[in-house]
Amino acid sequence: MQHHANLRIARRSGVARLRAAPEGLDKDQGDPPQRTRRTGRGRRHGAAVAFVLPAAAIYGTFILYPLLSSLFGSLYTWTGITRQGFSGLGNFYRLLSDPYRQGLVSAFLHNTLWFVGVLLLQTLLGLLIAWTIFRRGRRFRIFQSIFFFPALLSPVLVGALWRLILIPNGPAQDFLHRIGLIHTTITWLGDSDKALWVLIAVDAWNWIGLPILVFGAGLNGVPKEIFEAAAIDGAGSGRMLTHIAVPMLMPALSALTMLTIINSFNQFDIVYVMEGVGGDPSRSTDTLITQFYRFAFGSVGSSGLTDIGLALALGGLLFVFLAVISVATLRYFDRKVARL
Amino acid sequence: VSGARVVYRVKRIPASVLLAGWTLLVLLPLYILVTASFKSTAQIYSAPLAPPTTWGLGNFVHAWKQANFNAYMLNSVLVTSLAIALTIVVCLAAAYPLSRYRLWWTAPMLLVFLVGIMIPVRLASVGIFTTMKELHLLDSHLGLVLVFAALRIPFAMLIFAGFMRAIPVELEEAARLDGAPEWRVLVNVLIPQMRPAIGVVTVFTGIAVWNDFYFPLLFTFSDEKKTLTLGLAGFVGQYNTDWGMLFAGLTMALVPLVLLYSLASGQIQRAMGAGAFR
Repeated sequence: MQHHANLRIARRSGVARLRAAPEGLDKDQGDPPQRTRRTGRGRRHGAAVAFVLPAAAIYGTFILYPLLSSLFGSLYTWTGITRQGFSGLGNFYRLLSDPYRQGLVSAFLHNTLWFVGVLLLQTLLGLLIAWTIFRRGRRFRIFQSIFFFPALLSPVLVGALWRLILIPNGPAQDFLHRIGLIHTTITWLGDSDKALWVLIAVDAWNWIGLPILVFGAGLNGVPKEIFEAAAIDGAGSGRMLTHIAVPMLMPALSALTMLTIINSFNQFDIVYVMEGVGGDPSRSTDTLITQFYRFAFGSVGSSGLTDIGLALALGGLLFVFLAVISVATLRYFDRKVARL
Repeated sequence: VSGARVVYRVKRIPASVLLAGWTLLVLLPLYILVTASFKSTAQIYSAPLAPPTTWGLGNFVHAWKQANFNAYMLNSVLVTSLAIALTIVVCLAAAYPLSRYRLWWTAPMLLVFLVGIMIPVRLASVGIFTTMKELHLLDSHLGLVLVFAALRIPFAMLIFAGFMRAIPVELEEAARLDGAPEWRVLVNVLIPQMRPAIGVVTVFTGIAVWNDFYFPLLFTFSDEKKTLTLGLAGFVGQYNTDWGMLFAGLTMALVPLVLLYSLASGQIQRAMGAGAFR
């Protein structure tokens, strides 16, 4: 995510490094010890605190403290944005019983489908495209630049663009009629069976450049001799991809899967711009975060109708879910990588 | 052409179709976007794919003035550049002791910052909202700048601390022997060597903040303070009959990113693809 798209990039690029960090810290212990002796510990601590303070103050005030207060707040009752008495798991109980349970389950399903769809349309297709570009050689790298360009655009801009293009009797329909693929009026965004998949495809369009880039970099890091040897042994392109390239790309796949999980369960912008904060038509594109937003801040136009307790309970559940599934995913891929 | 060559060529067809197809899928919407910006609503309806008959800037002028795009654009430039500056300054300062001092608390502290990369920050938005309300920062650019800086600190810290750790200590030691205070060591010795890292952080913080929609949506109420993404989202809902102006607005939102990409596409791709994932 988000922060959102912005966050997206941070999250995307940060995951792999974060795991590498403890190693680096260990290495740091090897610095020459005379540094601290020469300047004296007291002065060192003072200077260090002064240097760290501004960043820590901003980060603590606007991220850490709000996160903790949101998590703890889920255990209290609320009127408006004022905290009342302790209620234990009362908010969670309300969220998981009627009338809210139904909405929660269907939103969770939509996010899960989003994850699966992005895995297929973005990661898998991205792998195939990266492989094709890699096999064709240097001159085809230009495609990498073309495919990556949409990743610079905000999901809001991308969503707005596709919303206009997909309007009934609009540009997309005209194109599809011309090439003879369909002859009916397209109403996908208003069709509750299709809308979610259109949004997932738009998200994949937005971000497919990232897996292409990451897999491309990974493939270029594999020694050429390996592929040459396989070719001499008579391996076709497909076998090389599944038996050599994919195992070599496991670390990249691990990082991309993590990002896909986090992003899929934080979807908001594209839904908001293309289908509204209510997840139209008839809640068929509702996600956990659009639901969280409506609980916390009310839907657009109808101000004041909020239920902070429910929002925080939903946030707490999602937080725990994401933490558990992230750790499980990392473990899974670590074992795979270790086996190589 | 020999038989083997024909077989080879035929085998390559699916891959070629894949590349050509996706290229069309990326370029056609962008083509429609730009050409529709020069058309009237009637022209977009009657011939969505045809090139425009005239290249008048009427739609752009309309969006710029009537739909407040000038204000949105200016707000985004202001918020983005201040957030970049604040993030870089506080993170350069903090990364220095956290990556180069050996104190008992520096390594755990760095980890606290880095964990932020994994936090799904939207879930903290109720807490951020109440904090901003208490500090009277709602509906202000200063509030947005502070929140964006906070959001981007973990990533900047990751890049800066990693980069600083790799710089050799000799010059730094020499400066200390000459009696330079710590802040001078940072400013005169370390920062001049940090240019590539500062470049990466500038570009990624810039794209992230420029494109963000969720937090401006929560914290901005008055129209004249809206950022471009927020203005864009409202604009699509509001002017849904004037298509030419809508497309012109989107095209204008695209321009800064096209400029950025044409200037730095190599670096962006390298940093995203290789550096950030290994």
